[in-house]
Amino acid sequence: MGIVRFIIRRLIFMVVLVIGVSILIFFMINAIGNPIEILLAERPGISPEVIESVKQYYRLDRSLTEQYLSWLGNVLHLNFGNSIVYNQPVGSMLVTWGWETVKIQVLAILISLALAIFIGVTAATRQYSKIDFGVMSTALLGRSLPGFFLGILLILTFSYWLGIFPSYGAYSTRSPLMGSALLDSLWHMVLPVMMLTYFNTATLTLLIRSNMVDVLRMDFIMAARASGLSAGRVVYRHALKNAFIPALTYLAILFGLMLGTAPVTETVFTWPGLGFLYITAIQQLDYPVIMGENLIITLMLVIANLLTDIAYVFIDPRIRLE
Amino acid sequence: MTAAEQPSTRKPPPKHHGTRRLGMWVLGWQRFRRNKTGLLGLVLVGIVFLVALFCPLLAPYDPNDQSAMLEFRSKAPPSWKNPLGTDRMGYDVASRVIYGAPTALVVGLGSMAVAAVIGIILGGFSGYIGGMADEFLMRFTEFFLVVPIFIVILVMVRIFGIVVVGTPLEEIPYLNLSTIILILGVFGWPPIARMARAEFLRLKEMEFVEAARCIGVGRAGIIFRHILPNALPSLIVIIALGIGGSILMEAMISFLGFGDPKAISWGQLLSFNYEFLKIAPWASIAPGMAIFLTVLGFNLLADGLTDAFNPRLKE
Amino acid sequence: MTAIAPHNDQLLAVKKLRVHFFTGAGVVQAVDGVDFAVSPRETLGLVGESGSGKTISSLALLRLIPRPGKIIGGEIIFKHEDLIAKREEEMIKIRGKNIAMIFQNPAYSLNPIYSIGDQLGEILTWHEKLSRQAANERVAELLQLVGITDPFSRLRQFPHELSGGMKQRVCIARALLCSPPLVLADEPTTNLDVTIQAQILDLLQELKERFHMSMILVTHDMGVVARMADRITVMYAGRICETATARTIFENPRHPYTQALLATMPRVDHSYSDGKTRRLPVIPGRIPNLIEPPSGCRFHPRCPASDDECARILPELLSLEEGHWVSCIKAG
Repeated sequence: MGIVRFIIRRLIFMVVLVIGVSILIFFMINAIGNPIEILLAERPGISPEVIESVKQYYRLDRSLTEQYLSWLGNVLHLNFGNSIVYNQPVGSMLVTWGWETVKIQVLAILISLALAIFIGVTAATRQYSKIDFGVMSTALLGRSLPGFFLGILLILTFSYWLGIFPSYGAYSTRSPLMGSALLDSLWHMVLPVMMLTYFNTATLTLLIRSNMVDVLRMDFIMAARASGLSAGRVVYRHALKNAFIPALTYLAILFGLMLGTAPVTETVFTWPGLGFLYITAIQQLDYPVIMGENLIITLMLVIANLLTDIAYVFIDPRIRLE
Repeated sequence: MTAAEQPSTRKPPPKHHGTRRLGMWVLGWQRFRRNKTGLLGLVLVGIVFLVALFCPLLAPYDPNDQSAMLEFRSKAPPSWKNPLGTDRMGYDVASRVIYGAPTALVVGLGSMAVAAVIGIILGGFSGYIGGMADEFLMRFTEFFLVVPIFIVILVMVRIFGIVVVGTPLEEIPYLNLSTIILILGVFGWPPIARMARAEFLRLKEMEFVEAARCIGVGRAGIIFRHILPNALPSLIVIIALGIGGSILMEAMISFLGFGDPKAISWGQLLSFNYEFLKIAPWASIAPGMAIFLTVLGFNLLADGLTDAFNPRLKE
Repeated sequence: MTAIAPHNDQLLAVKKLRVHFFTGAGVVQAVDGVDFAVSPRETLGLVGESGSGKTISSLALLRLIPRPGKIIGGEIIFKHEDLIAKREEEMIKIRGKNIAMIFQNPAYSLNPIYSIGDQLGEILTWHEKLSRQAANERVAELLQLVGITDPFSRLRQFPHELSGGMKQRVCIARALLCSPPLVLADEPTTNLDVTIQAQILDLLQELKERFHMSMILVTHDMGVVARMADRITVMYAGRICETATARTIFENPRHPYTQALLATMPRVDHSYSDGKTRRLPVIPGRIPNLIEPPSGCRFHPRCPASDDECARILPELLSLEEGHWVSCIKAG
């Protein structure tokens, strides 16, 4: 049936894209010469066993193409190799560090989605009012406020000045807050989530507001009101669903870019997630980690895109699959 | 169809081109002038340009002057002597921030110049020729739009830094910064290409282009004298947004420690002073503020320009 | 002023209705003291150029004036109650159930993301508290009535799967769902093909009789009102020019604007192509800016019969004969 063929077509595009990006990164890394020599030059203290394991994993004695194919084969068996810096399997590192990233990012996206719908709808139904003006200017400012600068301001205010929230890390090093590991973890999440939420909400709100303003002006909204449906029902059942369709794309971008924006967020808050790991991996030329992370990041982007496409088909009947 | 161009399409004779194009810009400026946020953006961008031009006059100290260190006045709070304080190495924060302005502008304008050339050629070609070429170029653009650019750029900047060691390239001043500018440009063209394609597609069907074709104007003449000038307003908007975006990107790359250590850039200052945020917050706030206001300026300017040249898009 | 209708048992009487739009550029006096009335089972044609305030007046009846507009004065007496005094919750029970509306552009007046059955059924479950099943049956019944074949399978279709004429039939069915005593039809045929226009007008006429409804037909097309209306109210720039039976308007128009409107109607018994002078006449000038409307009679700048008096004196709506009202100082 239509939907199955459609998903298969998107899946093929997805695979092409993921492999394309991994080839790009792989050959970029190899462009600088023999990874082992560079590693030895950059990090003289590295142990011979590690070098040997890298050699083994990448089949460095073979041609570049064979090396890439062997890496791809390994990855398909979920074998990402061992990190040079941490000397741990990259696969399990991606899971443990990834969880830290995903928990703040997903929470922030969910909070901003709820906020953006509420604020966007409120502003759109009161177009040109003071509330609308306030929302618009805050969001416009928010779009230009660099995330890391906002993070710095949050740390200065809530950590250093008011002393409420911790400024770095995901867990307390000594005793957890009030003896509860969960509370302690949530406590550490507040500032990073605040920063991400503000940033996501600004753009999402602007998007939902302007879509809502357009939709509310359409005849079918007036027609629904003229049929006697209440204002709330018309706004939320008839207008919002239409206005939300274009916002879906941005939501997909947010999910997809989750790991793309992580390096900055996690550097600001010294957060032990994939972004932080990626930065250290690049600095220390930890090839297996760089390759593994790139794969995951591209996969996330592509899966998010696929899910949006599928969601469109279900929400918007006008979309034809062919 | 923008309202700015509607009158022009009704006056097809190409000999009126001069006045017609002028009319579009004058009309745009008249609308822009009434837009408060757009004007605020223009003022902010103007300030950045002025600061960049006159930084030796404006900066109280040489940006490499570390004399405060000798007087044991590093990490000193703002005072009459150092209006924005000093940082951990005894540099005067105000002077460093002022000298960051030219760097930011070079990054923004330089990378967007590269991106604009690639984007306008690819997008314009795609939109004007159409057919298979269009299909192929649009797939190519889509690929670049989906690739996690920031992540790839970080790897590229780092690797390039290693590749050049020991080669004659190493002698080039600000090599690292130039690389970043080039990479930002090479990865920044897809939005410009998309806009150029849409504009070329739209404009090539318009009557005045048809008229020019009828009186025998060549392909190059049509593209450069008839289509491109009319596509410029939309392209300028997207380029203005791109300049702000590039400045922000460079700031993030530098903040993460992959910037040019020799260049004085705001991101670099943040990265350099961030560890001492608790002791000397002014040294981080000042460059952060500079980035914010500059990016805000370009974004507001782009908004104002959209309103001025595409009034139909805005309520 | 007494109400302007031939009978006393009015269904609707609008008195001195004023709707202003408070924009940044100034106050737009879109509807400024409008009177009209509708009797049971009667069709009133509300005629005027675009911008004359006819659509705003009909939206005002439902109290659905879009921002930044406001009803700032007058009365809307429907079934002996003033709608302007009603609370929003009470208005919800009037809209759709007592006064329904058919919109100008069928392409945009159905929600694109819900099926026909969903959006029409929703109105029935909302107003009549019917079950889904009962609502579906009633919707299908109405679709059949408006001339849609195979109504049960149409329930699952989406608006984009229907033609323009089909959509307008669906919109008509939506307006009739709760058998309202009054239907407002705002340019119901303007955006349709000529052949379909006639079908839709016939359908409206037939349904009006079958359901014993009254109708306000808002249009700029004198041909449409000639065919449909019992009485006609002519509006210009937010005011009423003339109200009379359809026959009187066409045979004995007294307001210069009505006369001008009628003169712009193409007629089959005239030839416009051969002679040099007999082109289809137009009304010179354009509808005035309603932020600073002309003094006195709003039509005077374009009126061939106007003089200094017309610019000074605001004409009252006066009765010339039984049921014929004109607001022109020259018509007395």
